[in-house]
Amino acid sequence: MALAAMAGVMLMQFGLVYAQMEAVESRRSTELLQGEAELLAQMSPEHLEYVIRRRATDDLRLIINSAGLFDAGHALIAGDLHTWPRGLKADGKPHNIEIYPEEGAPYPLRLLAVTLPDHTILVLGRSFHMLAEQKFMLRHAMLVAAVPTFLFALFLGVALSHRALSRVKEMHEAIDRIMAGDIHERLPANRERDDLERLAGSVNRMLDRLEHLMDGMRAVGNDIAHDLRTPLSRVRAKLERAQSGERNPEQLEAAIGRAVDDLDQCLGIITALLRIAEIENSRRMAGFAQVKLRELMDDVFDLYEPIAEMEDKKLEALPSAAEGPVWGDRHLLIELLANLVDNAIKFTPEGGHIVLDVQQKDDAVLLIVTDTGTGIAPEERQNVLSRFYRSDKSRHVPGSGLGLSLVCAIAHLHDASVQIESGPDGRGTCFSIAFPVPVLG
Amino acid sequence: MSEDDTLPPFLEGRTVLLIEDDGRIAEEIVGELTGRGFNVHHEETGNAGLDAAVKGEADVMVVDRLLPGCDGLSVIEAMRQQGIRVPVLVLSALSAVDDRVMGLKAGGDDYLTKPFAMEELVARIEALLRRPDDTRNTKLRTGPLEMDLIERRVWRDGREIDLLPREFRLLEYLMRRPGQVLTRSMLLEDVWQYRFIPRTNLVDVHIGKLRRKVDAPGEEPLIQSIRGTGFQLRVSD
Repeated sequence: MALAAMAGVMLMQFGLVYAQMEAVESRRSTELLQGEAELLAQMSPEHLEYVIRRRATDDLRLIINSAGLFDAGHALIAGDLHTWPRGLKADGKPHNIEIYPEEGAPYPLRLLAVTLPDHTILVLGRSFHMLAEQKFMLRHAMLVAAVPTFLFALFLGVALSHRALSRVKEMHEAIDRIMAGDIHERLPANRERDDLERLAGSVNRMLDRLEHLMDGMRAVGNDIAHDLRTPLSRVRAKLERAQSGERNPEQLEAAIGRAVDDLDQCLGIITALLRIAEIENSRRMAGFAQVKLRELMDDVFDLYEPIAEMEDKKLEALPSAAEGPVWGDRHLLIELLANLVDNAIKFTPEGGHIVLDVQQKDDAVLLIVTDTGTGIAPEERQNVLSRFYRSDKSRHVPGSGLGLSLVCAIAHLHDASVQIESGPDGRGTCFSIAFPVPVLG
Repeated sequence: MSEDDTLPPFLEGRTVLLIEDDGRIAEEIVGELTGRGFNVHHEETGNAGLDAAVKGEADVMVVDRLLPGCDGLSVIEAMRQQGIRVPVLVLSALSAVDDRVMGLKAGGDDYLTKPFAMEELVARIEALLRRPDDTRNTKLRTGPLEMDLIERRVWRDGREIDLLPREFRLLEYLMRRPGQVLTRSMLLEDVWQYRFIPRTNLVDVHIGKLRRKVDAPGEEPLIQSIRGTGFQLRVSD
């Protein structure tokens, strides 16, 4: 392929030189013929005839190869052109005409005829042998040059492609190792000096990113495994004890009941995880409508008030709360607020106070849950929103550890941001979800 | 098997058509339902299931959404187009609200997300078989309980019970389903219209408050807890 292209380029180059040469020679011979004809035409007729006669020994022969002086009836007066060339016109312009000598093969001449003042006609001819010679030289030169050029190009091509191929091969091997599971492997990119190395560099950066994501996923996977293992091993221990210990029906039934509770916790974790994935994957706004946060707040208050009361905590929905219309999915927003309230009740000690509020600002609608609970240290605030994070203080509190991740996922779907601050007078926690103000209409 | 697990006599021998391709889940369901006195007809594919439904032998159907080669919903749609009105419970691993809405739009009557507890499945099948109750009545009466839906008042043996609106709604739901086992998630879904609420013991708290008002000290307890499952409004025979 490359060789054919190279040969083509060479041929084209040769063709251009060839054509250029022919044009130059043609122009040169025309100028010569015209110049000479002008010079000769100025001579007196006798002198001209003399010059033509002895032109065989003259310098003229080198430039003008043939000459003839004809009378008006095209009969030769003097010169080496024996007959009037067929088709020649005495118009002072060059014509390429085949000459048939008395003996030997016909040959082409570039002829120019001018009528002199005494009505004789001067014919000058220049052969093409100069051009033919030059062409021959050119062809020869090309042939002589072509072979080494071709060989050199071939050698260079093989060497270069070998180098490129060996680099591609190295990359293939690196990719094979990565596919075999060695995700720390990288392609040879050196200093990214050429396209191939820059490509390798891009692939490497992509691999870095993927590795980072995989590490994240592995961490989450480990956390899931860990959070599932604890209740599962409890179930196992309980069942084992029930199997080996005393077997009166009440004890067995109680053991089974506790085992079922622990399994429910495992299922709860799995369900919450699937739920988060589902919410994170849903990008559709199809189910969205106008939702009033105030109504939502009252509903969730209604649902959670008895449980707060039972646990001796005070749940309050501020009567001054704004209407808070936002654009969203009602079920998801209920889920969001329920998780926040559930979380707040969980982490507020007995006698504590949880306040729900909705505030309308110029640039946002705020849904606020404030508690007087244990609080979250500023450095932990970002972490609590990530999956499975539990501060050390809360290890003993049961739950999937996923409630706030769920809150985040739902908030994100609604273009809302989650802020965590200290409660009033620095105690407890204040979660505020800032929703964009819905566009009217 | 405790007495809670036995079916009320009128449900004995009713036929459940199960369309589920997963052999192990199907085995579990068939075992559980048969053990409780149902007659179970199991099909593995949508087409076979549709044929069985068309023959009209089923009193209630349980249809998995993910069947080999088709969506269980298309089976329900095809069936509804042929005018078959058997109540259908849709089983699915998809829990998004949209999926549920789709399931109900296609003609399903209830939607249960995997994984589920067997008690939950049985309670829902039972609820479907008991339908429809007459919702036009403005007065409900169950045992000693009497409810006026227009005046929003409740009495037990002539003693008026003072209820909060949410407690009234809960009791109304129970009184419309006397003797029926109601799971926590059924109550959350039907009384509050919530599905994904952390801590299902919320329902227990609400029931507890209602129970303290309905069952005064010394009175026979009407609202009963069924361990591991949910609650039941007892009907005196």
